[in-house]
Amino acid sequence: MFDFIKHQRKSKARQLELDANAPQTGDEAPDFELKDVNGENSVRLSDYQGRKPVALIFGSFT
Amino acid sequence: MWAEYSDRVEFLIIYIREAHPKDGWWLGKGLPGLMLKLSKSKAATDVYDPKAVEERRAVAKDCETALKYGIRTYVDEMDDRVNEAYAAWPTRLYLVGADGKVEYAGGLGPFGYKPKELGEAIEKYLVREGT
Repeated sequence: MFDFIKHQRKSKARQLELDANAPQTGDEAPDFELKDVNGENSVRLSDYQGRKPVALIFGSFT
Repeated sequence: MWAEYSDRVEFLIIYIREAHPKDGWWLGKGLPGLMLKLSKSKAATDVYDPKAVEERRAVAKDCETALKYGIRTYVDEMDDRVNEAYAAWPTRLYLVGADGKVEYAGGLGPFGYKPKELGEAIEKYLVREGT
C-alpha cells in the first residue's frame, strides 16, 4: 500500500513538472527519430514535414 | 479514426515508459485491479518496468499483437527523451501539421486523453488545408 502511494506521488510529481513545458498549439513539434518494435525501420518526425500531418499517440501496455 | 484519415494523416504510436508496471505504480491488485477487470480493460497488469530498450521493444510488440490496432509502433529509448519532450507519460495525443507545428496538444492522460478531440482537430486541419 505504501509503495503504491510512493510510486503514485513520484510519478504524478514528475508528470506535472514535465507538463509545464509540454509543446502547445503553434509550437514547433520537437523532432525525434525512433526505431520500431523490432529495432529496425527508423522514423523521423521531420521526414513528414512538407508532406502530411502526423498524429502522435503516446502510451504503453500498462 | 485511423481508417477514416490514414490516407491523409500519418498515425504513429510512440511506445513510452510503462504507466503501471508491476514494480512501480501497479494497479494489478486490490480495488484498482478489480476495477480494471470489471471494465474489461485490455491494459496488461503483469509487466515489469523494462530495464533495457530490447525489453521495452518486446513489451511494445506484445502490446501491438494483443491490441491489433494496426498502426506502426515506434519505441522510445530508455532515456525517455521523446516522452519527456512531449510530456507524454502516461498517455497523450498530438497532431503535428505538415509545417512541423503542433496543431493539437491533448491533455495529460488518462483524463485528458480525448481521441474525439484529436479527430475534431484532424478534421479542422484537413478542411483548413483543403485536403
